[in-house]
Amino acid sequence: MNTEDSNVQCPLCGQSHRAPFLKPGQRALCIRCGTTVAERGRLGPDAALAFALTALVLAIPSFLLPFVTLTKFGNERTVLLSGGVEGLWLHGFGPLAVLVLVCGILAPLGLLALLVAVLWTDTSENPGELNATLRRWAHGVEHWAMPEVQILGVMVAFFKLGAVVEVAVGPGLWCYGAASLFTLLAWRRFNLQTRHERARSMLTVASS
Amino acid sequence: MIPLRLQSRSSLAQAAALAISAIIMMVPAYALPVMHLGIAGQTTSDTTILSGILQLWREGLGGLAAIVFTASFLVPVLKLAGLACLLAAAWRKPGTHSHLLTRVYGAVDFIGRWSMLDVFLVAFLSGAVRFGKLASVQPRPGILAFGAVVVLTMLATHRFDPRFLWADSPPPASGRDDAAIQMATTPPTLP
Repeated sequence: MNTEDSNVQCPLCGQSHRAPFLKPGQRALCIRCGTTVAERGRLGPDAALAFALTALVLAIPSFLLPFVTLTKFGNERTVLLSGGVEGLWLHGFGPLAVLVLVCGILAPLGLLALLVAVLWTDTSENPGELNATLRRWAHGVEHWAMPEVQILGVMVAFFKLGAVVEVAVGPGLWCYGAASLFTLLAWRRFNLQTRHERARSMLTVASS
Repeated sequence: MIPLRLQSRSSLAQAAALAISAIIMMVPAYALPVMHLGIAGQTTSDTTILSGILQLWREGLGGLAAIVFTASFLVPVLKLAGLACLLAAAWRKPGTHSHLLTRVYGAVDFIGRWSMLDVFLVAFLSGAVRFGKLASVQPRPGILAFGAVVVLTMLATHRFDPRFLWADSPPPASGRDDAAIQMATTPPTLP
C-alpha cells in the first residue's frame, strides 16, 4: 500500500493524517478543525457495496413503474418518474428540464454505478489509477444527486394537489424512496471509510 | 479520501462572481411567478414563491409552509450570506476564526441542495397536472431564475476552497504533516 493510500486528508482544512485503525463504532476527527474524517460503522466493510447494489436494483423499477396516478372527474393520468422532466420540456423550459433530469435521475443513477464500480475494485491492495479516477468522479457527481430533495418536493406537491385532484402513490415512488434511502446509507459508509481501512478489513477476512 | 489540490487565489474571485450572479438572479426568482394553476370553474392565478408559501399558510398547512419557506427562501438567503462571510474572511486572512468559518462552510455546503425543492415541486406539478381545461399547471419564468440561483450558489460553494480559511494557521503538530488522528471515543491527545 503506498503512502497516499494510507493517508487521510481532511476535506475542509487539508490537514494530513495517518489512516487510523478504528474499532467498530469509532469515528476519527481531524486534529486541526474537528471534522469527522473517517468512521467505522458496526456493519462490515462490504456494507457500502451492499447498500449501493440494493439501491441500484431498486432504481430500475422506480424508473419504469407508475410514480403516481392522478384522477380528476373520472379522468385518470399515470405519471412516471420522468414526468416532471417531460412537463418542463413540453412547456419550453428545456434548461430546467435538463437540470431536473440530472439532479433527480442521471446523477443518482451515475453515483450508484460509480459506487458499485469503486467498491468492487477496492478490495485489492493496490486498486490502481482507474479506481482513484472513479472515486474522484463519485465525489463530483454526489453534489448533484438529490433524490431525497425530489421526494420532499413530491410530498409537498401532494398536499398542494389535495384539493385539486385525487392522488394515488404508485410503486415507482416507493421504489424511488427506498433507493434514495439506500443511496444515502451507501454514500455515508463510502465517504467516511478510508481505503486503507477497507483494504485491511478485506485482507483480514481473506486471511482468516 | 481524495487528495485535494490547493486552488489558486483566483478561485476566490470566481466564487465571488458566481455568488454575485446568484444575488442578481434572486430578484426575478422572487418577483416573477413560478407557476400557473388553472382549475375549471375557479379563477386562474400565477403564483410566486412567496405567494405560494402564503397560500399554504392560509390553507392551514403551517408546517408545510414552514418547510417550503425554509427551503425556498431561508436556505438561499442564508447560503449567500454565509458565502459572503467566507469570501470576505478568506480575502482578509481569517486568523483566529478558522474553526467557526469552517463550520459555516460545512453548513453552507450541506444545506445547498435543499433549495432545489421548489424546482422539483414545479417540475412534478407541471408534468402531472395536465387535464386540459379541467386542471393544469404550467411553469413560469420565475422558476427558471430560481433554478439559476440554486445552480450558481452550488457552483460558488464548490469553487470556494475551505483550506483558504486555514492558510495562515500553523499545523497542530509543528513540523509533522503526518499527524495521528483523535479517536472520538477516547480523550483527545495531540501527537
